[in-house]
Amino acid sequence: MEEKKKGTKLSRRSFLKGIGGGAIGTAVISAGLIKSDSAEAYSPETVGARGNRAAITLKVNGKAYRVEVEHRSTLAEVLRDELGLTGTKIGCDRGECGACTVIINGRNMYSCSQLAVWMEGKDILTIEGLAKGDKLDPLQEAFIEHDGPQCGFCTSGQIMSGKALLMKNSKPNEAQARRGLSGNLCRCGNYNREVAAVLAVAAKAR
Amino acid sequence: MAQAPKEFSIVGKRTPRIDAYERVTGQAHYTGDIQLPGMLYARLLRSNVPHAKIVSIDISKAEKLPGVKAVIHHENAKVPWSSGGHTHQRFIFNNPVRFVGDAVAAVAATDRHIAEDALKLIEIKYEKIPHVLDPNEALKPDAPKISTNGNLSVGKGAFSAPIEESWGDLEKGFKEADQTFEDTYITKHTNNAQLERRVSIAKWDAGKLTVYASTQGVSNARTDIAKDFGLPLSRVRVVSKYMGGGFGNKNQAQDYDYMAAVLAKVTNQPVKLEFTREDDYIGMHGRWPSEQHYKIGVKKDGTITAVQLDAVTNMGAYRKQSGNLSGTDFYNIPNFKKVIKPVHTNTVVSANYRAPAYPQSVFGFASFLDHIAYELGINPLDMFMKNRIQKYKSKLPFTSNYLEQCIIEGSKRIGWNEKWHKPGAAPGVNKHGIGMALGGYPFRPGLGAATIRINADGSAHLLVGVTDIGTGAKSTMAIIAAEALGIPLNQIQVTNGDTDVTPYSVGESGSRTTSFTGPAVIAAAEDVRRQIFALAAPELKAKAEELDLRDGQVFVKSDPSQKIPLERAVARAGELIGRATTNPEFKDVEGKSFSAHFAEVEVDTLTGHVRITRYVAAHDSGNILNRMPAESQIMGGVVQGIGMAFSEELIIDKLTATPINPNYRDAKVPTHLEAPNVEVIFVEHYDPYGPFGGKVVGEPPITAAVATIANAIFNATGKRIKELPITPDKILQARQV
Repeated sequence: MEEKKKGTKLSRRSFLKGIGGGAIGTAVISAGLIKSDSAEAYSPETVGARGNRAAITLKVNGKAYRVEVEHRSTLAEVLRDELGLTGTKIGCDRGECGACTVIINGRNMYSCSQLAVWMEGKDILTIEGLAKGDKLDPLQEAFIEHDGPQCGFCTSGQIMSGKALLMKNSKPNEAQARRGLSGNLCRCGNYNREVAAVLAVAAKAR
Repeated sequence: MAQAPKEFSIVGKRTPRIDAYERVTGQAHYTGDIQLPGMLYARLLRSNVPHAKIVSIDISKAEKLPGVKAVIHHENAKVPWSSGGHTHQRFIFNNPVRFVGDAVAAVAATDRHIAEDALKLIEIKYEKIPHVLDPNEALKPDAPKISTNGNLSVGKGAFSAPIEESWGDLEKGFKEADQTFEDTYITKHTNNAQLERRVSIAKWDAGKLTVYASTQGVSNARTDIAKDFGLPLSRVRVVSKYMGGGFGNKNQAQDYDYMAAVLAKVTNQPVKLEFTREDDYIGMHGRWPSEQHYKIGVKKDGTITAVQLDAVTNMGAYRKQSGNLSGTDFYNIPNFKKVIKPVHTNTVVSANYRAPAYPQSVFGFASFLDHIAYELGINPLDMFMKNRIQKYKSKLPFTSNYLEQCIIEGSKRIGWNEKWHKPGAAPGVNKHGIGMALGGYPFRPGLGAATIRINADGSAHLLVGVTDIGTGAKSTMAIIAAEALGIPLNQIQVTNGDTDVTPYSVGESGSRTTSFTGPAVIAAAEDVRRQIFALAAPELKAKAEELDLRDGQVFVKSDPSQKIPLERAVARAGELIGRATTNPEFKDVEGKSFSAHFAEVEVDTLTGHVRITRYVAAHDSGNILNRMPAESQIMGGVVQGIGMAFSEELIIDKLTATPINPNYRDAKVPTHLEAPNVEVIFVEHYDPYGPFGGKVVGEPPITAAVATIANAIFNATGKRIKELPITPDKILQARQV
């Protein structure tokens, strides 16, 4: 703790000076906040708490990853921040919107509400794992043809819930499709389109 | 009836969005997906008291937490946020705090969990100031003062108060009336609630600030940041490539962009500041709630002779936007006066949300008009048809106006004449109802810019400042470019939303992207076509003006067999650059898109539950440039209106002044289960003033939706609900009266 304090020794340089001056009424950041360029050398710097961590193996899109995670890290955070699989979005981080939906052992689940450490040995499928090489999943193609994404932020989750439904029931009717997607909010209100995309895939299966 | 000047090759088709592939594969990188080397994570602490002076703020414990890099607050980061408030100076951190949710401190740490932990270690001593939550209370002389100017929110220019508008002779109008009606309608604060939480990533390189923002407008965000940080525009770069929705509350730069920039400056590391969903609900803004008092004079046959509107809108603690109410826009009102008082209270800020001044006041006015029709014994369809607007303020013509056709086609599609019945007259427990209302949104021209590069291989780059917030703007710009250039769409790459690269754009708000930037894209295409023809003319042994370009071939108009591929014309020049800045104006003419919405509902009179069984939305948006996303916009706007009509409301607890439902579940945004199949009708006519004949699409669909549903519920129950949201308990209560 003591060393960290030394590491953040402060200089007198002002913020405005640092950015080359500025007009009256513009940003003023107190001198005490700016770190000196000549901070003492070799003082150790904390780059993330190391406690409460575990090494786990995550099986994502058919590939195994060995990754060290904080116990409290959610699957959504680890997918995005550690594995770079940012197709999974976080809209609410509290199990309400479904933007983070992935398929775990064949079921669509909110990855923001699953701790990463619970995922050992489970099969996780994300939006990045749907296409076979260059060939898109039929549901992804249907989402393009039926204008599934407006802003697109909920789209990954909608597709994963739709996919999970189609894996269980290849020919859902409209009511089943709506129910299957009902855990996925779309604030653009593009529900008609998302359901139409799922039904289009179902129609091909008939 | 205006006709298009030529056949279009791609405009008006059902073209999938050009970036749909990225969006369905998870490859579209939104702001929050960006990770920079050495990046820190930041979180915000907000006030838990409605009105208080911060006596002291102790950050020593937070600073000692391993991993914490900086803590900023009102004392050490006094940065003005000019666009955050227009009645008194607002800073990114304010003392006093003025509502539960006012930002108090921000922490940057090596990961987001540490930043969250650190927030809990910040100790603040508040000295409470009396507060006021109700706008009518706030206007009383002895109410606690929130703004230095008082609680009537008086700012400069567009932010003056009260908002007043009048024409004709009100007194004469009421004298001419056979009957006069008065009533009050109330609407609540609803949050934009876009799926993408706010996030901003800032970094400094040798005195230059780059902000990866989740903004609807990179140009205006850059202007805001440069102004408040005292930087030249050249040393601020704002980038927004993919936007996860905003609906009006992500335009310009916001306080979190500034906080990220300050934290990045003091730590000398890139900083990603993320909002939580609760932050998003209470820390930014939602739609201004309103109390609308109408006095309406009518003839026996329902013709409006005069309208007087006195209203109060609750802007919360800061005045970010107008607070106006414009729902009377779609009617012919010969004598009119409105006085609207935007008011400060110690509550969450209200500002722009899709068609900011409309759905709440369309609810009020169209509900009341529907009710007056009932009182006069007139079919609402006749009432709306008779009073529809034909000329702007009874004087100016519109660039085009097919509101009448919207009413005719929409009512025909839903079967109004067969299905309409006297209010409350349907038999059974589940009562059928049918309702309608009129809507729309202004269509105005303005400043736009575009650059088009034709590469040596004949492919093209379109550079535009627009962000695509979900409207399909990027695709629309590419379609306009393809049509104007004569190059296939798949040969056009769009680079958008980066102030270092792309030219000025107005910002994707007010449904202005197509009408402002569209003409610039056309003009830039014409500019580069002239250059292409000049280069190709000698080889084709023709004059430049005798040439045309289609499907990537330059040819002689009079003899299309005389042609050369585009790339041959360009090759010797290396590349060609066309550019344009356009700023068209309307003279003696007003622009507006129009709509007429129709709904059928089934009201369960035992539970008060309402089901929408059919919804028809007829729109005059001029010529439709890309059919599929345009339809999607209409469907989505209706769904947002459904949320506002039935369930959404940010509830402030009166005892603690705290919002008690700042999240999706408790604020009740519509899900798949509440969304009806929306039948979209485009009454399509080429508007002579719009780019390729198009008018605005984005905001109109939400405007009429709330009133349409409310009127259908009245038709079912015979009971008028005058306060949103129309929840089952209100329906049951009304039936018992």
